[in-house]
Order: sequence, then structure tokens, then C-alpha cells
Amino acid sequence: MGRGRVEHVFDALGDPGRRSLVEAVASRGSATATELAAGLPVTRQAVAKQLAALADAGLLRSTRAGRETRYEVTPEPLGDAVAWMVDMGATWDGRLDRLGRALAKGKVAR
Amino acid sequence: MQIEREIVFPASPAEVWEALTEPERLEEWFATEVELDAQPGGIGVFRWGDGDERRAVVREAEPEERLVLDWEDEGQVVLELDEVDGGTRVRVVERSPEWSTALELHALAWVAVA
Repeated sequence: MGRGRVEHVFDALGDPGRRSLVEAVASRGSATATELAAGLPVTRQAVAKQLAALADAGLLRSTRAGRETRYEVTPEPLGDAVAWMVDMGATWDGRLDRLGRALAKGKVAR
Repeated sequence: MQIEREIVFPASPAEVWEALTEPERLEEWFATEVELDAQPGGIGVFRWGDGDERRAVVREAEPEERLVLDWEDEGQVVLELDEVDGGTRVRVVERSPEWSTALELHALAWVAVA
């Protein structure tokens, strides 16, 4: 269920600066390090490094745009979380269904 | 990240508690092979037909009220029982802590995009 990848995402988002970068990219649809650094008290290089780390974790997807790299948010790692929810929900639906039948049977035996 | 389910069974809290804590009863609905010492600090071992095995430690066990298992591989299951008209309401919450940050971001990203 992509456990290693999820931990990677978790690490990548452990830093508030990186979280706010993801938010900034998401709010713009897509962005480059230059565009993002313009509104922040940090260098373009620092932003570029954080964006690369976020792309490594699978949270951002990058495309080359001339001399710059353009990033957008990818929903895939979050898709893993949604998959967990769907799997676990279905598992419990099955369990509770069987529990109901086991309880009904237990009553008859009593 | 968590999922929640709530269901009323036409059985008494005592019957439901037995089904949640007695290994032979758990084998009727939860897993193929069950070992469980249903008291705080007790160990649970659950095996399924596909070879899967999960271990847990009992964090809380209030007979006929509340059972909490901490999975060894992270996560938690909370089972709460309530006597209601016509039976017992069972509330299940299964949590996986590793997803929480991703989910916050999910909400954030969707708000931002919208």
C-alpha cells in the first residue's frame, strides 16, 4: 500500500516552509521557483531546492519551461490515503456483516 | 486519517463484548486465527487466510463499553458499545496516523485550487 512512499511524503511535509510552498503552488495552479521567491524573503535557489525535494516525494510534478522548471501539485500521494480509506472501509463493512451473522447464530445456540 | 462505522445489532452488550473479545468468536468474523488477552496491556495476534498477520496491544478494555487496540505496525482500532433500544450500537473507528499530514494538505490544496 505504498507505505515507504507515504513516509516520504510525511517527511517532505514535516517542514512548515515546504508545506507553505505546496500551498502556494496549489493556489497558483503551477509555479516556478522565480515566481514563488518573488513573494518570499528567501532566495530563488533556496526555493528551487525545496521544490526539488517536494517533487522527489511525489507531491509536485515538474515540467521544463525554457530555462526554468515549472511545478504543479500532484494528487497521487494523497490518492494512496484515499485508497487506504476505501480499503479499510470495505474491510470493516465485511467484518461487521459477519459479526452480525455470528451474533445471530450465537443467539440460536444459546 | 480514519474510517468510522456505526451499526446496531439486536444483541445485548454482553453478547457483543464476548464476540469482540473471545478468540473463538473473533474467528467467526474478524480473522482466521485469533489470540487475544482482552485486558489492558494484553497481546493480540490476528492471522488471515492470505498469510497476513497483525499484532496489537490492548490499550483499553472496559467490559461491554470500550475496547482499544494499538496495532504494532501503527494505527489503532477503537470499538465502543452502547446499549440502545433493540440491542447494542457498535461504533468502530480505525485510525492510521501516518496519513494525517497528507490529508490536511489535501484539504488545503482543494480549497486553494477551488
